[in-house]
Amino acid sequence: MGFILFLALFADLLSPFAYDRVYFDRVLLMPFEHPEHPLGTDEVGRDYLSRLIYGARTSMMVSLSVQMIALMIGLPIGALAGYFGGAFDFVISRIIDIMTAFPALLFTILIISVLGGGMPTIIVALSITSWIVIARITRAQILTLREQEYCTAARGIGASEWRILFRHLLPNAMSPILIAVSFGIPTVIFAEAGLSFLGLGVNDPIASWGKMVGASNAYVRVYWHLALLPTLAIALTMLGFSFLGDGLRDALDPKQKIRV
Amino acid sequence: MLGYICGRIFALMMILLAVSIIVFSLMHSVPGGPFDERKGRLPPAAKANILKKYGLDQPVWKQYINYMSHAVRFDFGIPYQRPHTTVAKLISKSWAITVQVGLTTIVVAFGFGILAGIYAAYHQNSWVDTLVTFVSSLGVTVPNFVVAMWLILIFAVSLNWLPMGGWGSSGQCLIDKYFCTDWILPVVAYAIAPMAIVARYTRASIVEVMGEDYVRTARAKGLSEIKVMRKHVLRNAQIPMVTALGTEIPNLITGSIFIESTFRINGLGKYFVTSTLNRDYPMIMATFLLVAFLWGILYLLTDIAYTMIDPRVRLGAKSLS
Repeated sequence: MGFILFLALFADLLSPFAYDRVYFDRVLLMPFEHPEHPLGTDEVGRDYLSRLIYGARTSMMVSLSVQMIALMIGLPIGALAGYFGGAFDFVISRIIDIMTAFPALLFTILIISVLGGGMPTIIVALSITSWIVIARITRAQILTLREQEYCTAARGIGASEWRILFRHLLPNAMSPILIAVSFGIPTVIFAEAGLSFLGLGVNDPIASWGKMVGASNAYVRVYWHLALLPTLAIALTMLGFSFLGDGLRDALDPKQKIRV
Repeated sequence: MLGYICGRIFALMMILLAVSIIVFSLMHSVPGGPFDERKGRLPPAAKANILKKYGLDQPVWKQYINYMSHAVRFDFGIPYQRPHTTVAKLISKSWAITVQVGLTTIVVAFGFGILAGIYAAYHQNSWVDTLVTFVSSLGVTVPNFVVAMWLILIFAVSLNWLPMGGWGSSGQCLIDKYFCTDWILPVVAYAIAPMAIVARYTRASIVEVMGEDYVRTARAKGLSEIKVMRKHVLRNAQIPMVTALGTEIPNLITGSIFIESTFRINGLGKYFVTSTLNRDYPMIMATFLLVAFLWGILYLLTDIAYTMIDPRVRLGAKSLS
C-alpha cells in the first residue's frame, strides 16, 4: 500500500514512458515481446507498465481527495446536527434518509451525466455521496457522547458550548470517524474504477485502472494481459486499504472485536 | 404494529416525492437536452415540434407536475431512446432479466454462504474455517467486475469451458430458456461478495451463540448435537443473519451495473447507463423511483421479519435514540 502511494507520487520518475505516448508501430504487444515494454502495450500502442503506474496516481488522487472533502463537509455538519439538534438536525437527518434510500452508485452516475465526465467531476460526484457516511457517524457519536458525565461536568464548570464540542466531544468521537474514512478509501477506489470501467470516468488519455479493464474487454481472448494486470492492481490496492482499515479499527477501537 | 407500518409507508411516499424532485431538478439543471443536435442539424420547426410533443417546451415545474400526475397512474411516458415502446414496458422487460440474475445470485450466495458459515463456526479454527475466513475477506474487498474478469480469463479464455457473455443465448440450457451455461459466470462473479458477507455474519453470530450458557445446558441435558444446533443455536443466530439478508437483497435485485456490462446482459443497469448518457429523462426518473421504492419496501419487510423471528423486538416502540 505504501508501495502504491509511492508509485502514485513518483509516477513521473518511475514510468519508462509518458502515459499518453503512442507508438503506432507497437500496438498490442504481449508482455516481454519487446525489450522496451516489459508489460506490453495497449490497443493504441501505449506502454502498459507506464499506464499502470499512472493509474495508481489517478486512483490515489481521486480516493484521497474525495475522503478529505467528505471529512471536511461531513464532520462539521454531523457534529453540529448531533450537538445542537433542532431544525438543523431535522433537515440533515432527512437529507441522510433520502440519500440512503437508493444506491449511491446510481446517484453518482446521474451527477456525472449532468456535470459531464472528467477527474474533477468524479471527485465532486463521489464527495456528494461520501460526506453522508461521515456526517451520519459523527452525528451518532456526538449524540451518545453528549449525554456522558464529563460533558455535564464541563458544562458545570462553565465551559462554552463550542469548547465542549471541539475540546471534549470531537476528540472522543474521532476514532470511529477515522475508521470510516479509512474504509471509505477502498470504496472510492472501487467507485472510480467502476465508473471508468463503464466509460463514465476520467477522460482519455489519463490512465485509470478501471478504464483499462473496460477497454480490455474486447481484446481479452488473445491479449489477456490487458485485463489481468489492471484487475490485479485494483484488487491488491483495495485489499491493502481494507487491511489498513481493519488494523486501524483493532488499534483504535478494541471493544469492537467481532469481524463482520 | 399496523400503525407503525402505515407510518413507514407514509415515510416511503415522502422519500419517493423528495427523490423525484431532486432527480428531476438535477436532470433539468444544466443547459442542453435529449434532442440537442449532436447527430445532425434539425430544422428549427421540426425541433420545436419534437420538444412540444414531449412537453419539453414548458417551464420545468410544469413539466414536473405533468410527469408526476401521470406517474401516480403508473404511466411513466415514452423513452426517448426507443420511441416505439413505453418506459413501463422497457423497464419490465429489462428488469425481468435483472431479477433473474439477482434471484439466482441470492439463492447461490445465501445457500453457500450460510452453509459455509455454519460449517466454519462449528469447526472453529480448522482449515475449513481458515479457508472460509480468507476467501470471504477477499470476496468482500475485490470488486465484482474484477472477479468477473478473472473468471472470464480462467473459464472462458484459457479453459474455454463456458461462454464469455450473454444471458440465455448460449443455447445450452437446463430448462427451456432458464439456467443456461452462460448464467454460470455472471452469477458466480456476482454472488461472491454477498456470499462472503453472509458467511462472515453467519459464522460470527453462530460462534457467539455457541458460547452462551443455554447451549451448554442443552448439551448437558443430553440433547443430540443436531438438535442443539437446530433448536438452540441456529434459532438464535438467525437474527443477525437477517440483518445481512435484508441489506443485501435490495442491492442484488436492483441489479449490478458492472456485471451486466461485463457479460453484456441487457438488464436494467445497462439501460440506466445508456439513459443517463442520452439524457433520457423518463427512463432515469422511472428507474430512480423504482429503485427507491424497492429499497424502502424491502427494508420494511426486513424489519417485519425481525419481529417474526425474535418476539422480543417490538416495532415502533419508543426507543432512546
